[in-house]
Amino acid sequence: MRTIPFVTALLLPLTAMAQDRGPILDDVTQSHILPRFAQLAEATQQLKAAAEAECAADAPGLRDAYHAAFDDWISASHLRFGPTETGDRAFAIAFWPDTKGFTPKALSQLIAADTGLDDPDAFAQTSIAGRGFFALEQMLYDPAFAATGEAEQRCAVIRAITTDINRNADAIAEDWQSYALVLTQPGADSPYRSDEEALQELFKALSAGLQFTSETRLGRPLGTFDRPRPNRAEARRSGRALRHVELSLVALRDLAARLSVDHPDIATSLDAGFNKAITRAQKLEDPVLAGVATPQGRLRVEALQQEINDLRAIVATELGPTLGISAGFNSLDGD
Amino acid sequence: MTKLFTATSAMTLCIASAAMAEAPSKADVLDTYANIAEAKYDDSLIAAKILQTAVNALIADPSDATLNQARAAWIAARVPYQQTEVYRFGNAIVDDWEGKVNAWPLDEGLIDYVDAAYGGPTDENEFAALNVIANPSFELSGETIDASEITPELLGETLHEADGIEANVATGYHAIEFLLWGQDLNGHGAGAGNRPYTDYVQGDACTGGNCDRRSQYLSAATDLLVSDLEWMAAQWQQGGEARAALLTNEDAGVAAILTGMGSLSYGEQAGERMRLGLMLNDPEEEHDCFADNTHNSHYYDGLGIQNVYLGSYTRIDGTPVSGASLSDLVIATDPSLDTEMQAKLATTMQALGRIKSTAEAGFAYDQMLEAGNAGGEALIMGGVNGLVDQTKTIERIVSTLELDQIEFEGSDSLDNPNAVFQ
Repeated sequence: MRTIPFVTALLLPLTAMAQDRGPILDDVTQSHILPRFAQLAEATQQLKAAAEAECAADAPGLRDAYHAAFDDWISASHLRFGPTETGDRAFAIAFWPDTKGFTPKALSQLIAADTGLDDPDAFAQTSIAGRGFFALEQMLYDPAFAATGEAEQRCAVIRAITTDINRNADAIAEDWQSYALVLTQPGADSPYRSDEEALQELFKALSAGLQFTSETRLGRPLGTFDRPRPNRAEARRSGRALRHVELSLVALRDLAARLSVDHPDIATSLDAGFNKAITRAQKLEDPVLAGVATPQGRLRVEALQQEINDLRAIVATELGPTLGISAGFNSLDGD
Repeated sequence: MTKLFTATSAMTLCIASAAMAEAPSKADVLDTYANIAEAKYDDSLIAAKILQTAVNALIADPSDATLNQARAAWIAARVPYQQTEVYRFGNAIVDDWEGKVNAWPLDEGLIDYVDAAYGGPTDENEFAALNVIANPSFELSGETIDASEITPELLGETLHEADGIEANVATGYHAIEFLLWGQDLNGHGAGAGNRPYTDYVQGDACTGGNCDRRSQYLSAATDLLVSDLEWMAAQWQQGGEARAALLTNEDAGVAAILTGMGSLSYGEQAGERMRLGLMLNDPEEEHDCFADNTHNSHYYDGLGIQNVYLGSYTRIDGTPVSGASLSDLVIATDPSLDTEMQAKLATTMQALGRIKSTAEAGFAYDQMLEAGNAGGEALIMGGVNGLVDQTKTIERIVSTLELDQIEFEGSDSLDNPNAVFQ
């Protein structure tokens, strides 16, 4: 009798043996997700403090804190599920792309308005276009806003935005303390009915993250050969477009490594692909991707995009099937 | 005791036979799906022809009555068309074509006069305020365009997506909507666009200028809509290209149904069309913004998703079209998953129905979008949550029917890395 479980185990196909997903869920949650949101909460706290200390658009302390906190957001920005989606938090932290120019309009209104800026609850009710890092970027780096309205009013807008970013980052980090259990202990009462569904969420974060970096971060400024769109590069005013590509790839490499840990062949090819793409990004030396407007520069950005698409192909056709996970739907579906 | 036993056995048998419902063939499910597409596009065509007649009457004899009839015909035409949107994302032939008839959002200043608050050209779009109705000749990407006569060709081939910008929408339902209603300048207040019929009166009584060119534009855009719908309806007939593509591979065909349902539910409708507008609190960030018809637009999108799953559509003349369905296919594999799907689709329709009934009672969609309007936010988020939740179950069906790997093959950029350079 006692030998039966052992025999059964032997009879199980190898793939099924390899599909114990619990450890991966734990590892990604503990080592990839939680530290990122803890770091974001910390950095946005410092950003808020910097704006309190000195709020001039060109204050070095404020600008440094802006860059540091924005880095930490980009490194976590692929994790768009659960706590980031409650109360539109992630949308309010980073509204981009802004295809219809809502952000400058919203900021003009905020500068002109003289109420509600010192009330975080009221500010949280305003349009996402006037909140978050991309609104802050225009306040700090767009000459149009350096001269709009009174300095005192601009300062109030900057402080309202940094306070709001920190509030959302804190709320996300706090909710993740309990959501960690939701993700790692799927079941009938959880939004994730099984390990497979929880793992699919992480897999989607990886594939959608790569898709966003390829199609949006690079694809928008690339435009077409005849009509490149350098002005559509992400956060170009503060010179961060390429940096976002690199930061996102570094974060996604870490996630990919954790998801592929049981499959060394796939892990190796993913790691090689990420290293290639990250190295290429580092060598571009084109912080705002202005090169898309020249034939030579364009070719180099396209080559980087192709390497990211190669990674997407490995993720979709090798990693997904091996983990037994389907692609699912993401927010980039549709137009 | 015997009686009880018999009754119990009968019940058991009943449950057993229900649980073992025979799976319909995938070919039959796809046939129903294609038949419904054919009926929906044919209905859209019929309704567009009625709109065309009404538009011709407006142009021939502008009056409040003819303008209102044209508006009513436009609203009616949206009912079958919105139900076709579920066919977009799974069927390349539809997706490649769709931008011509239902592109949104649009920079309407491309077409006609706009209010001063609209502004001029933007960073994103140099032609946002081109106003082709007022300009018989203009520069476009270094070329001089002769627009002295506004023809379907000018709109479809030169002006639509001019300069490679999607917001340059020169054709389709929303261009026609703008020409019938004009801008909605009421902000979050009550009321839709209020273009006067005199915008179409020829001679001295003309308002807004260039009434002859405006009439030409409206007529050309409506003719183009009819011919575009004619083309798509033909693709779904027996022997049509859309039907043939769908039937090439049965698993891929069933995956296409689910891809269409999931992509429309989540990324497109819940995200782009509903949640984004709410987060921006912009009164014109709504799908049918000139006519204030967004509640219907969302409702019939949702209905299209539901009736494709159930394999049952009622035509605009009342004729039912139904047959073997995706629902039947799921029942045969996992009846409880079908129950879950049906319940979630029904929940979404209730939520979208609440938006519709509230809007029809006078609380318009653009009023719901106002910052701090808790009632409006709850209504819209009800729809968003329903759509997001049903997407989860659509994903479960993809897994249960083991269509996982088919789905991956649908992506252009993954199949053919060079496609992104084209």
